[in-house]
Amino acid sequence: MKPLDALAPIDGDLDLTASHRPRPGFADSMVKYARIFRVSLIERMTYRSDFLLGTILRFLPIITTILLWRAIYEGSGQAVLGGFNYREMIAYLLLTNISRLFSSMPGLAAGIARDVREGTLKRYLLQPLDLIGFLLSSRVAHKVAYITMSFIPYAGLFYVCRGYFDGFPDALTMAAYAVSLILSFMVGFYFEASVGMVGFWFLEVTSVLYIVMTLNFFVSGHMLPLDLLPQPWSGLLKVLPFQYMAYFPAVVFQGKIRGVELALHLALELFWAVAFLLLAKGLYRAGLRRYSAYGG
Amino acid sequence: MIAGATRYGRMLGGLARYTLAREMAFRGNFLVKVSVELLWMGIMIAFYRTVFGKTSSIAGWSEPDYFFFVGCFFALNGVIETLFLENCNEFAELVRTGDLDFLLLKPIDEQFLISCRRIDWGTAPNLVMGAVLMAVALVQKGWEFDPTRVAAFFATFACGVAIAYSFMMILTSVSVWMVRNQSLMEMWWLFSSLARYPREIFAGRGAEPLGKFFTFVIPILLVSNVPANVMVRVLDPRMVAWTAAVAVASLWVSRRFFQVALRSYRSASS
Repeated sequence: MKPLDALAPIDGDLDLTASHRPRPGFADSMVKYARIFRVSLIERMTYRSDFLLGTILRFLPIITTILLWRAIYEGSGQAVLGGFNYREMIAYLLLTNISRLFSSMPGLAAGIARDVREGTLKRYLLQPLDLIGFLLSSRVAHKVAYITMSFIPYAGLFYVCRGYFDGFPDALTMAAYAVSLILSFMVGFYFEASVGMVGFWFLEVTSVLYIVMTLNFFVSGHMLPLDLLPQPWSGLLKVLPFQYMAYFPAVVFQGKIRGVELALHLALELFWAVAFLLLAKGLYRAGLRRYSAYGG
Repeated sequence: MIAGATRYGRMLGGLARYTLAREMAFRGNFLVKVSVELLWMGIMIAFYRTVFGKTSSIAGWSEPDYFFFVGCFFALNGVIETLFLENCNEFAELVRTGDLDFLLLKPIDEQFLISCRRIDWGTAPNLVMGAVLMAVALVQKGWEFDPTRVAAFFATFACGVAIAYSFMMILTSVSVWMVRNQSLMEMWWLFSSLARYPREIFAGRGAEPLGKFFTFVIPILLVSNVPANVMVRVLDPRMVAWTAAVAVASLWVSRRFFQVALRSYRSASS
């Protein structure tokens, strides 16, 4: 794994001193994770041209989605479908891309399962490094790099599509939106980490992962607003945590959820983030008891 | 020429048997892979059923016609994924690690070996699933059998596969220069999203030129549109001829492009 290879000298440094030194304090700990962050950032920037091509291609589905929904609204002859007019629908679908920018975790669960299967998990057990902490800080780095590099193309896209929006919402809604996005990152991260931990029990999880991710694509509201689905599906999917990974932040930005309901949902989102955090940690602890460190 | 074709045919058969034996060693995994595809199809159906609950047509396509289109794309994409996608996906890694050397040394056409050496049986049932969806759509539509349309469908379907394969080869070849980090699978998914919807959605200011661009300049829109159209909508001989011409031309262009790309391969780190 690349980030780990690149980390070798830092790990070595930690290894030498760890046994002679008292437990590192909070500041030392932060320095350690800040270094992981930096290395991951550099690693992320290595394949720039590929990254650029990927970013350009990423806009194709957005174009076709806009055109498809235009055809759907024209075909239906109605102005409002499921509480969304055409402009709101496109704005919603664009906003779910921002939600997914925060909540999607490509390769996270598969990486954990691989570490378990191939025995490379040992690194985390031998060194004063927490697996989940390590993954979290390197993931934050990837996200920062990705979001920074995507900023200009996305800003361009939203500028071109500004006609679908009614300007920026008020400051309070923006604050709630920011919080919902950060929490959607947490929900996404700990959810996928939990799925990866299943690797302790089943050696091959990629297939299970595909099922989960495929389902998530639909149930998170990435394909269409959950309100469009008939009852009871719409109500059911709004109870599940997956809506926080795409649907919820988008409708917060659109001002469709306000006041007490908004506060309640933010609290629920936090609850799910913490619940998945505890689940991931619990599964990790339970998994380590089964772990037999083959290979590596 | 014929001897060569037989040799490659035999080799493809051998590779198919070998990969099937490998796949069957992990039957559970195979079943899960198939269920993922089933699930994905279920999601597509749920999505369009929801949409057609609100409208009776999309860009002039009625519900049965549209589902025929979805089935056609699903089947066509299934063929591409079964035969080529996984192979092409590994190409970047072969370039990065220098393992491509071992493939280039073999006394066989490089493009054949790189794009056909493994068959991903897990996605092969997609062809059947797509066919079932198409059949159901035809029954719902009350379609009457027409041999001309069926023949045109199979011909343009094959052309669609050839065009999609060519685009995938071009995208794959680019990794010689880029030493790709991201997966081709994702790139392909993004690029093929253009072929996932009827061409008629490219209507109105701005979109129409774009639709023409992707029909005549980068003709990815022909891939599933033309076969679906000739079967359930309009059988336009000019469009069929254009698709056949594009299929031949794109195969040639992609092969040339691949060869040019290989010349830039530096065989690093092997």
